[in-house]
Amino acid sequence: MEEYNSGDEVVFSADEATSSVKECIEGVIGGTEYNQSRVNQWTASIVEHSLTHLVKQGRPFKYIVNCTIMQKSGAGLHTANSCYWDTATDGSCTVRWENRTMYCVVSVFAVAVPL
Amino acid sequence: MDDYQTEEESIEAVIGGNAYQHSRVNHWTTSVVEQCLSQLSKLGKPFKYIVTCIIMQKNGAGLQTASACFWDNNTDGSCAVRWENKSMYCIASVFGLAI
Repeated sequence: MEEYNSGDEVVFSADEATSSVKECIEGVIGGTEYNQSRVNQWTASIVEHSLTHLVKQGRPFKYIVNCTIMQKSGAGLHTANSCYWDTATDGSCTVRWENRTMYCVVSVFAVAVPL
Repeated sequence: MDDYQTEEESIEAVIGGNAYQHSRVNHWTTSVVEQCLSQLSKLGKPFKYIVTCIIMQKNGAGLQTASACFWDNNTDGSCAVRWENKSMYCIASVFGLAI
């Protein structure tokens, strides 16, 4: 039974990954305030949970999940990504989340594995 | 490690000697990633690359970043460089995935 809709070509679905990641973020830090002693644990949880969800989808991809949490204190923060890959099959998505005391930016990169 | 030096040189070339400037930082992050990526692709190795760069103003705020990767441990790898000057921090990471 064909598991993938598009035949041989499997393309990264940024929308699915975005909603999956948003749930992970909410689950870990939703309703909390920036706490220096716990932020280490939070970033690790977010990347692990996100990665687990993505791998469970069972698609032929290698994944990299990156999470940054920054305290809101008026400092400027800029991030940029650049990728050298196969634009037909590989893709990425970035999720920005914030609450009163912190910003969270999660990026997912998916690189197709030749079957 | 070659990658570490490549990253460090790229960062130094783009923002070495500059102070944090809100109007220019967008341009800096993109320059750092583009330069790193072009140096890496010049190495001509059979890898796909992902380069990320974070620049943060020094203001007393806390910053934490983490990455998790699902790949082939034998062939794939990553490298992160932390750079700073008086007014900002820069963290650049390179992920290399074997083709």
